[in-house]
Amino acid sequence: MKTLLPVLQPAAAPRRSPDWVRISYASAVALRFKSGRFTRDFDFGGINLLLSYDEGCLSDCGYCGLARTRPGQYEDKSFIRVEWPLVETDELVRRLARCEDRLTRLCISMVTHGNSYRDTLEITKRIRAGVATPLSLLVAPPTLNEVRLRTLKEAGADIIGIGLDAVTEDLFRSIRTNVPQGGLRWEQYWRIVDAARDIYGPWHVNCHTLVGLGESDRDLMAIFERLLDRQIHSYLFCFNPEPDSRMGTSPKSDLSRWRRIQLAKFLLEESGLSAGAFAYDNEGALVSISAPRALVEETVADGFAFMTNGCPGAGGEPGCTRPMGSWRPSEAPRDYPWQPTESDELEIRRQLRLDEILRSGPGPTRPRELWAPPVAGRPARSVRAEHQ
Amino acid sequence: MPENWFEVGGYRLCSDRYYDAERHLWVELQPGSRVARVGFDPLGRETSGDIVEVSLSVVGTHVNRGEPFGNVEAAKFVGPLQAPVSGVVSGRNAQVLSRPGVLNDDPNEAWLVELDMADSSELSQLLRGEEQLRLWFAAEIERYRRQGAVAE
Repeated sequence: MKTLLPVLQPAAAPRRSPDWVRISYASAVALRFKSGRFTRDFDFGGINLLLSYDEGCLSDCGYCGLARTRPGQYEDKSFIRVEWPLVETDELVRRLARCEDRLTRLCISMVTHGNSYRDTLEITKRIRAGVATPLSLLVAPPTLNEVRLRTLKEAGADIIGIGLDAVTEDLFRSIRTNVPQGGLRWEQYWRIVDAARDIYGPWHVNCHTLVGLGESDRDLMAIFERLLDRQIHSYLFCFNPEPDSRMGTSPKSDLSRWRRIQLAKFLLEESGLSAGAFAYDNEGALVSISAPRALVEETVADGFAFMTNGCPGAGGEPGCTRPMGSWRPSEAPRDYPWQPTESDELEIRRQLRLDEILRSGPGPTRPRELWAPPVAGRPARSVRAEHQ
Repeated sequence: MPENWFEVGGYRLCSDRYYDAERHLWVELQPGSRVARVGFDPLGRETSGDIVEVSLSVVGTHVNRGEPFGNVEAAKFVGPLQAPVSGVVSGRNAQVLSRPGVLNDDPNEAWLVELDMADSSELSQLLRGEEQLRLWFAAEIERYRRQGAVAE
């Protein structure tokens, strides 16, 4: 009797970068890779991409959805709590070109992987060949050096982001270095921060800083000041526990604390207050802000302090707003992808409990040239002059 | 395809069910009773995005037509579920509450609540029948496409 052998099908080509790339859920909706909508209507043009490999990210950070030892296959892992659909890079570029008039900023996030640099460069080139929208790279420092940073700039990236996330060396070591697999190094991250600052220039480098990993308010303000002094932006993120990650059951930071950090950061970076205007208790928790009430009231009223920190668009408008990146649609917004409305402002004031921390104090004392430039899209405020 | 089911633009609808055109919910009368089973129609589900959480009013709650009987949360969207008819919640789909993802798989099958209808004449405000449903649904698909809420 003859036994028929099954006809073997050729193995499908692996769907990995650079020919495939993951795209944030919001970006996938904007480019119509996914159906869906946002609870509120607002302009959205910041497209976030993420390299994709079967092996996944080789780092193992305690809070990250992509961590190597987090249970599950890489393709099923959420990142920042939602699915990141996998799309073909060339189809992505076609859609980017078709929607270019609505796009404000593109960003490729690397992961820690041996091919990460090569593939980021390739995807950068493919995007640049078809689309002029400004492009940021959120880099994986272990994969980079100065030469590679320069090559990425020549290929068309104009801003470099570094996901420092943990804001003290001790915290970085405990969450990102001394971990089950693939430890990262604090010194290496800072080497790349410095190199990127030299190559990309002032305010063209940003460090991501995460609230809620166990740091104090004083730690956060110290890193904001350290980066401000080097003309590097701090982008503020809120820890949002990823289920099944090592920090999956850790609580999200208290909303009042988060709001006060947003305010203090803004006053330090963009309103010229000195570090001495902020006082802390023995635990390092922010207990007072000494500033003219009018300055603080104005800051709360216009709401820019509470908007998403992100790279600008070509015209200086908000470019990357990551809607609901650190809060669920059913939760109170953490960072607003739109300028807060009057009803948002009421909520913000309730959360801030301003009277508990505001003390009368001097206005800006930091020399004007040492202020951070206004966040994207913000009109210069003439009223500021009154406080100087 | 089972009897009484038909497709519009790739979405399956049932000519025996009633549809709330504004809220994109279906209503299916349970045989021999005043109980109406309520679920998401496939376009309402799809344009919400991937559903991750559902909350439903407890059994015994009275809701008027248009009032919320629960909430749905998707990846980037949250909104109330508004009753297509008035009635008392007499059942909740436990599977949907424990695994909301079943709504993404098949909203025609994964019902949300059962309402003991107070006034069956309200059904006249809903759409029914293949001809009427085809016209309405095709227009809605086009509307959502123009809004950019439907994937290509």
